[in-house]
Amino acid sequence: METSRLPLSSSIRGKLISAGYTSLSSISSVSSTDLARDVNITESEAFEILKMANQVTCSGSSSLINGAKNAWDMLNEEEALPHITTSCSDLDKILGGGISCSDVTEIGGVPGIGKTQIGIQLSVNVQIPREFGGLGGKAIYIDTEGSFMVERALQIAEACVEDMEEYTGYMHKHFKASQVQMKPKDILENIFYFRVCSYTEQIALVNHLDKFISENKDVKVVIVDSITFHFRQDFDDLAQRTRVLSEMALKFMKLAKKFSLAVVLLNQVTTKYTEGSFQLALALGDSWSHSCTNRVILYWNGDERYAYIDKSPSLPSASASYTVTSRGLRNSSSSSKRVKMM
Amino acid sequence: MAPLKHLEMENPIIDACFRDFCSSHGILTVEDFLLHDIYELAALAERQENADRLKEGITVMLSLIEVKCRPWLNGMELLEDMQRSKHTLSSGDKETDSLLQGGLREGQLTELVGPSSSGKTQFCMQAAASVAEKQDGSVFYIDTGNSFSARRIAQFICGSSDAAALRKRVLSRISCHTVYDIYTMFDTLQGLEVALRSQVQKNVNEYRLRLLIVDSISSLITPILGGSGSQGRALMVALGYLLKKLAHEHNIAILVTNHTVGAGESGKTKPALGETWKSIPHVRLMLSRDNRNSNCTISILKHTSMPSGQTVKTTMTRNDNQQYL
Repeated sequence: METSRLPLSSSIRGKLISAGYTSLSSISSVSSTDLARDVNITESEAFEILKMANQVTCSGSSSLINGAKNAWDMLNEEEALPHITTSCSDLDKILGGGISCSDVTEIGGVPGIGKTQIGIQLSVNVQIPREFGGLGGKAIYIDTEGSFMVERALQIAEACVEDMEEYTGYMHKHFKASQVQMKPKDILENIFYFRVCSYTEQIALVNHLDKFISENKDVKVVIVDSITFHFRQDFDDLAQRTRVLSEMALKFMKLAKKFSLAVVLLNQVTTKYTEGSFQLALALGDSWSHSCTNRVILYWNGDERYAYIDKSPSLPSASASYTVTSRGLRNSSSSSKRVKMM
Repeated sequence: MAPLKHLEMENPIIDACFRDFCSSHGILTVEDFLLHDIYELAALAERQENADRLKEGITVMLSLIEVKCRPWLNGMELLEDMQRSKHTLSSGDKETDSLLQGGLREGQLTELVGPSSSGKTQFCMQAAASVAEKQDGSVFYIDTGNSFSARRIAQFICGSSDAAALRKRVLSRISCHTVYDIYTMFDTLQGLEVALRSQVQKNVNEYRLRLLIVDSISSLITPILGGSGSQGRALMVALGYLLKKLAHEHNIAILVTNHTVGAGESGKTKPALGETWKSIPHVRLMLSRDNRNSNCTISILKHTSMPSGQTVKTTMTRNDNQQYL
């Protein structure tokens, strides 16, 4: 590591470098007296520099280096991590309780399968207050296709509030429970909607999100509908597209971990030529398929909608059916026994 | 690198006068001295008043540097070193271990290549659990895709008795660090190097670091690779050599994952990162998963001491120990 990384005034840094102390390891091997004489600074200044250098190189005793966590602590954190319900209990079940926070989840499927519906549903559900088992957070909705319908969001929000009222009504009979404070229009107010019209705007917005979320700490979900749209056109240089996309993916990962929020990327499908036949696959290619933590594929099975967990580091592959009703996402009417483990 | 001044203690010839002469030519450290043209320096020293003394200083410097150069080893010593300090670590999967004649070798960089959802991360977490549980080593896991799951690792721990205490003991030996760009990666690895070196000095021997996992290295490199400049490629190679240096000097087994990209129109795939990266890992394994069932096939693409092309089928069961779910 280089000396220039230490938080020093530029004059002292210049003196250090011109005296030959360019790396931290060279500083850590001298005494403060020697350093003071070589660099021509006071001994107390030299002492401060040594202290800083030691802080940077040697960290706490428990972990090898700064910022690393041990898996035991992480296990406890993981268990306490909230999930955002999808309002469809079968789907929640295979997702291990819902969309997991601090993960990037990609959801893809053919047009009309209900990707945008899931997006709107999640942006409403994230606001369910803590008393009702939700997160009480806010949502960021990044719309690249222009498919977000505010009337639909209102409809789902009304249904969500009704459900909560029904729940309190039930609870009132048995326990003393709080009234539903939330109104459908509050729910709409807490969805931050960004309309993005080109891929440059999309990149700029992703770069800006860090700042925006630091200012609005209770944002708990970021939905991008869809990540693909602008990247499937206007791009001649596919290698450049891969670079830009993988950098964007890393930024989403960073956001998800830093603020412990869920990132949901909606993706379109494309045909892919494998083993002699054309098959449907999620768009943006092979490199992109590595850039999400979890991947859920939506597909038609007969006239029923199904979701399949294609990739997840901690969940087993499984599929579940769901329907899209006027009230939002719900269990498939035909059965609730259809959770199929694979 | 150490400043020249440090040598004065034992070698009075390298005094302030000699150092002044050196610093007037931009030489402040031993490293600068090595990089400078020695003949030019000697010629310049001729012109000074105290030429003899300066030349003597240069000779002393050169002899000091010669002493510091790494000693050579013969084959027997290398073999002994390998048997003593380069063990194989079980990857936690019997079939893979028999394919690799024991498992992951310390001091080597093993690369795992496979398409998305082929079980690379599962393999990594299984190896981490196995090394922490059975080899009493600590594991450092560098995660770039938020895919590290302590819960999943806990499922791989197979000890029978006293499960809770064992889980705690094993899990606390695994540390995880998240890294989202290659520059942070360099910082992390350099920090790790310093920490390891200070551990050696302090003789901390409990739970030596035995396995370093980078999942995935390709997602860090892809954003910088290609385009017009060659900087990305230089960073990639530097990262590869830094990893190999760590592996060699501290006897760590290193496991990195890489993804695949399409090769041509035929629908075939090949490992990402291109030809330059190909020469870096010692061992290259290809993972592929059959979509109809959860069987994995692992094949050797490259190995330093075994013929390539061998394959083994394994059931990378995603549903191990379901009771924890």
